[in-house]
Amino acid sequence: MVQASLGKSSRALTEPYGPLDEDLDSIRERAAAAMERVQRERAELWERLGDTATKRGWNVCRAAGVEEGLEYVCNVASAAEAPRAVRSDQDVFDSMPVDAALGAQGVETAVMSQDGGSSRAELKNMAAMAGVGITGVDYAVAETGSVVVLPRAGVARLASLAPPVHIAIVRPHEVLATLDDLFLFRRLAYYEGDRNMGSYLNFITGPSRTADIEQKIVIGVHGPKEVHLVMLDEEKVG
Amino acid sequence: MASQSTDPKERIDNGGEHVSPRALLYVTCLVDQLYPEVGVSCVRLLRRLGVEVEFPKDQTCCGQAVFNSGFTNDARHLARRVLDTFGPLLEEKDDTYIVVPSGSCTSMMRVFYPSLFEDDPDLQHRATELGSRVYELSEFLVKVLGVTDVGGKHAGKVAYHPSCHLLRELEVEDEPVKLLRQVEGIDLVEVEQARTCCGFGGTFSVKYPHISEGMLADKLENLKASGASTLVGCDVSCLMHMEGALRRRGSSMSALHLAQVLESSEG
Amino acid sequence: MAEVKTKEFVPASRRAVDNPQLQAALKRAGGGFDSARMEAIEELGEERWQELRERARRIKEHTLENLDYYLELLYNRVTANGGQVHFAADAQEANEIISELALSRGAKTVTKSKSMVSEEMGLNHSLEALGIRSVETDLGEYIIQLAGETPFHIVGPAIHKTKEDVSELFADKIDRPGLVEIEDLAETAREVLRNDLLQADMGISGANFLVAETGTLVIVTNEGNGRFCTSSPRIHVALTGMEKVVPSLEDLAVFLRLLPRAATGQRLTSYVSMVSGPRAPMEEDGPEEFHLVIVNNGRSRLLQDEKLRGALSCIRCGACLNICPVYRKVGGHAYGWVYPGPIGAVIDPVLVGLDKAKDLPFASSLCGACREVCPVKINLPHMLLTLRSRLMEGDEEGGSKATLMDSAMGRGYRTLMSSPAMMSLARKVGRVTQVAVARKGWIRKIPLPPFDRWTRARDMRAIPKESFRDIWDKELSKENAQPSQKGRKGEKP
Repeated sequence: MVQASLGKSSRALTEPYGPLDEDLDSIRERAAAAMERVQRERAELWERLGDTATKRGWNVCRAAGVEEGLEYVCNVASAAEAPRAVRSDQDVFDSMPVDAALGAQGVETAVMSQDGGSSRAELKNMAAMAGVGITGVDYAVAETGSVVVLPRAGVARLASLAPPVHIAIVRPHEVLATLDDLFLFRRLAYYEGDRNMGSYLNFITGPSRTADIEQKIVIGVHGPKEVHLVMLDEEKVG
Repeated sequence: MASQSTDPKERIDNGGEHVSPRALLYVTCLVDQLYPEVGVSCVRLLRRLGVEVEFPKDQTCCGQAVFNSGFTNDARHLARRVLDTFGPLLEEKDDTYIVVPSGSCTSMMRVFYPSLFEDDPDLQHRATELGSRVYELSEFLVKVLGVTDVGGKHAGKVAYHPSCHLLRELEVEDEPVKLLRQVEGIDLVEVEQARTCCGFGGTFSVKYPHISEGMLADKLENLKASGASTLVGCDVSCLMHMEGALRRRGSSMSALHLAQVLESSEG
Repeated sequence: MAEVKTKEFVPASRRAVDNPQLQAALKRAGGGFDSARMEAIEELGEERWQELRERARRIKEHTLENLDYYLELLYNRVTANGGQVHFAADAQEANEIISELALSRGAKTVTKSKSMVSEEMGLNHSLEALGIRSVETDLGEYIIQLAGETPFHIVGPAIHKTKEDVSELFADKIDRPGLVEIEDLAETAREVLRNDLLQADMGISGANFLVAETGTLVIVTNEGNGRFCTSSPRIHVALTGMEKVVPSLEDLAVFLRLLPRAATGQRLTSYVSMVSGPRAPMEEDGPEEFHLVIVNNGRSRLLQDEKLRGALSCIRCGACLNICPVYRKVGGHAYGWVYPGPIGAVIDPVLVGLDKAKDLPFASSLCGACREVCPVKINLPHMLLTLRSRLMEGDEEGGSKATLMDSAMGRGYRTLMSSPAMMSLARKVGRVTQVAVARKGWIRKIPLPPFDRWTRARDMRAIPKESFRDIWDKELSKENAQPSQKGRKGEKP
């Protein structure tokens, strides 16, 4: 500890630690093999994601196409009686025009991005006022029924947190089998991306919950009470 | 080492050669002083199974009571005594084992003795050697003799209490149950929270009697709910604690050591 | 530093045992967590579970053996990510670091997500003394903050409170009377705390894991307050014990499978948040500053202690509390410091001083259930024995803490057991003495310590006429040693 705080060079490890001794090529190889496996098993993983996500408390919509997905989103917003929604700025919305669809039923959708000229304070306020938050995902993990969101420009942290309803849209190429896959890919991204992890990574596995009073599970304490996973299968893997 | 034959006599007469394992009975101080009938059952049971039984008379206490209370030094003295008493006898003859009708005393010898002599490689070696030859009774019957049907009789509902050291230091879990299942007339019942400690804990029971009694009360409640008329265990210490409370509460449930049930031909 | 009341264990545990409401809460809590844990493990498969435990144990063992190396790596990577790392030697230093940060940044309101280290520090008091509002936002922590208590359990800080207790607290402390249902209480906490979660100047979180390789802080939560505290305020300060490091990002796959299952029986918590630094310039939200405060506060004593070092592997799942029959009787407050249950009985004495916590290592029947459930296989019962030995025999730090009575008992017992002749003599004395109290082979009351504590609730067997060795001499040694036919009677041919 003293050594570290003084920034002194350290001693060697008592024994080599496998993962830390690995070179980038080896990580690439393992990641490539994992990716190949994931692609091969995609249909099955897609199916399993839906199952585990349901068990973890997601409302799962298996949408065969954009229209079905949009209809689901509109139904959720209307059930939530939300006049305002927020969404992130992600490529999934290029092919899935939620703003227009929600607008048609009187729900105003704001994009949480400074590109639109809003300040961070204004963005925060938007998220706080919204009844629904809609985001894409960077990964989904079939093992755990989780989605993984990497906040960045265009992807605000609060979009999936502050509104009482969160809708996550996932596509087949985003699904991974296990936590091991995810951390392997993130590790590769870290080393390939000039040692940059990104500031934040968020796993979301179902709604916010607590069991702090008498161990009774209550859904929706600080985060979203209702979470929806729209599985948009345009590639028809499922 | 362990023969898988279920008939001990077959093992003994195997190939016409009389192979008789020898058991040095470590009876434990508690059995010696307060529960001699348990020791008697051990001797008769083992002999019935063709085991040559010896009782090294210099034995006293394994030291667990003081060891668990933190008196490592006192425990070391008592452990030394066990090493000196039993070590030479183990070397006399192959197929010699120390057999102990107690999971906690067995774990003291096998698991903890070597840690008492960390500063003395020679003694530590002796302790490890001794430890490898110490067996709790049920473990000895099943693992060494390779028997599960030992011919006991017992009528009525029996609750088996797995004592903690037997269960978690020695990891002896199935052996007593296998033995009990073969007892004629027995009705082995399930107990809720069966693997939970009874609250004895050696000197814990008198250091923090209020906690020990609370744990004991929960245990007795579960035993009562099981409908058993007899409580059976492999450690007289835990049994003494539960039996004492059963009597205090006027319960009709009796307590027996495993050896007594296995040895019994009375039913 | 949090108040140390470990010396009060005996009276506090007596009060707990005599409190029926608390006993009811303990029964409910332990059983609930425990059955959820078992169900989750069963689903995963016992073999897989054991494999994960062993991997976790090895990762932790390796990391602790090389903690200086990994802390330095962590320091370098967090710094490279744009975060600032502070090392605090003790609770006071950690409080000073955070106070200084809060004051220099003009923070008026601080929101906190759960952090056991902050409990060690007594952080809320330290901030409030400077006029800074420190708001606990985890529902359980919020409840105990309102009640002015300390956490009762590592995972469920308020599991000793009934909904009626909470309802009363909400009425008295935040003027929200008339709430009956648990759902309404939780909803109220959501409403009341939301503004602070959005508007606080500084967010303070704990850490479940620190990934050295990438300089990443991992927080495992369910409610969402942890996400707010690490996302909304301008400044995020994470507090962590120095033992939370794991080497590689890939190690997380092991621990994220173990921790939620062992803690609450969840397959994964609702949220796992991984912080690798302050927000990048183009990001839409997130803190401008990220500070990681790595706290020693006595941990290096554990680290240097070969016999107890393994206790630093603890991932604070609370499984050992839930299974412990002692914790299930006395509850969390009786232990008198931040960490209760078997893990507390091991680490509290080292962290607060063995002489101040003499009773804790004895607060166990040594049943070993804690070791059996521990997801990182900490040998808690053997560590308790180590501490007992140090208390009675002394250690490098100091002499024996045994009372004269203790030592006399130890020595007396050894003398009594020093030879069969001594045993036999004691037996004779006992036989003569017990005449006054024994009836039909049983004794109802022995008015002599420590036996009087035995006979409070149990009858005691009187010393029988013959010892085993008497019977051996008289009969057994002479009996036929061959297998008798009688013994096999009743067996089918």
